[in-house]
Amino acid sequence: MIPPDSSDLPYVDTKPQGSADFYYATNATFRFLLNRLGRAGWINYLEELGRGYFSPVNDRWRTGGLPAVARYWRAFFAAEPGARVDVQELPDRVEIHVHECPAIRHLKAGSREIVQEYCQHCYILGTARAEASGLTMRLQGGNGACRHTYATAAAALPPQDMAAIKEARS
Amino acid sequence: MIGCYDFCAHYEWTFGWLERVGGHALVREYWNEAINHDSQRHARDLIRNEGIPGMLKYWGHTLLEESPDLGFNITHREDVFRIDFHDCPSRGFLLRNGVKNYSDYCDHCMGWTGPMLQEAGYVIDHEHNHRGQCWWEMRPASAKGGHAAPGSVAGAKDVRLRPDWPKDPAALDRYCKANDPDAKIKDVPKA
Repeated sequence: MIPPDSSDLPYVDTKPQGSADFYYATNATFRFLLNRLGRAGWINYLEELGRGYFSPVNDRWRTGGLPAVARYWRAFFAAEPGARVDVQELPDRVEIHVHECPAIRHLKAGSREIVQEYCQHCYILGTARAEASGLTMRLQGGNGACRHTYATAAAALPPQDMAAIKEARS
Repeated sequence: MIGCYDFCAHYEWTFGWLERVGGHALVREYWNEAINHDSQRHARDLIRNEGIPGMLKYWGHTLLEESPDLGFNITHREDVFRIDFHDCPSRGFLLRNGVKNYSDYCDHCMGWTGPMLQEAGYVIDHEHNHRGQCWWEMRPASAKGGHAAPGSVAGAKDVRLRPDWPKDPAALDRYCKANDPDAKIKDVPKA
């Protein structure tokens, strides 16, 4: 996969936003992996997805630094239906303030049973991608509103407190 | 976060990952358990309860959302529900972006709709050319025989009438009165 120069995303579609019903499949995929392969298998899936599938994005983050991270997340959430997000670029970090998570919003609206670990996927996946890019990632909140932080080593962020990631609730 | 904008691409990546971890059986189980029985349970409920009118409600909505430029055509009668994809939004996304991590992405459609329609009492005739064009006919499970002649159900919208539809059957994956993603055939029985 070769990211087009004209887009901050590594892939382009003919429509401006994705179809929200696909969040049902992501939630169902997590449930299947957790049931079949256990938590370790699910984590392995997310880490390999982060290092493999997302490698074109990681390459851009590694070479483009925090400005590339901020551009990516702005473009990413603009293509996710129902997202309300602010991306703040600071000298040593990018903070993504998710006021309304499009996935949790749609899963709740569709009366889906949300995998309770759902919000942890952003930390596990985000950490794999950040590490591949020479950055660190932290997550605070969840269940519909949260803050993602992607930082350089200079930020010297404290370790992730897993209790700071909320369980997703249907 | 895993998004929905590039869903088809990480969905395809997931098939390859599952096959590496658990073989082909795990991919098949994923399509049936995660997609048919969980993610797409709204489709399953509609079609089990309403039959062909339920197919119209489900695919009429979901294809319009995924493909607002109408790269598909739906035809329905009392005894058959047919979709012709002239520009599959899902396969097209992968082709445009050069994504490939699994042997045949197109198999996922039969992978989840096959078992879903079997549970609802229907069988499927289907061909896909791996280039974003395919056709589907769903009929009650009592239906017999081969494929309907090109144009006989969808008229001029039949994808098989396209000048670029492969003349060589070997370029197609073909199913006849099937529900299993592995039930591909070389020769279609006569209608």
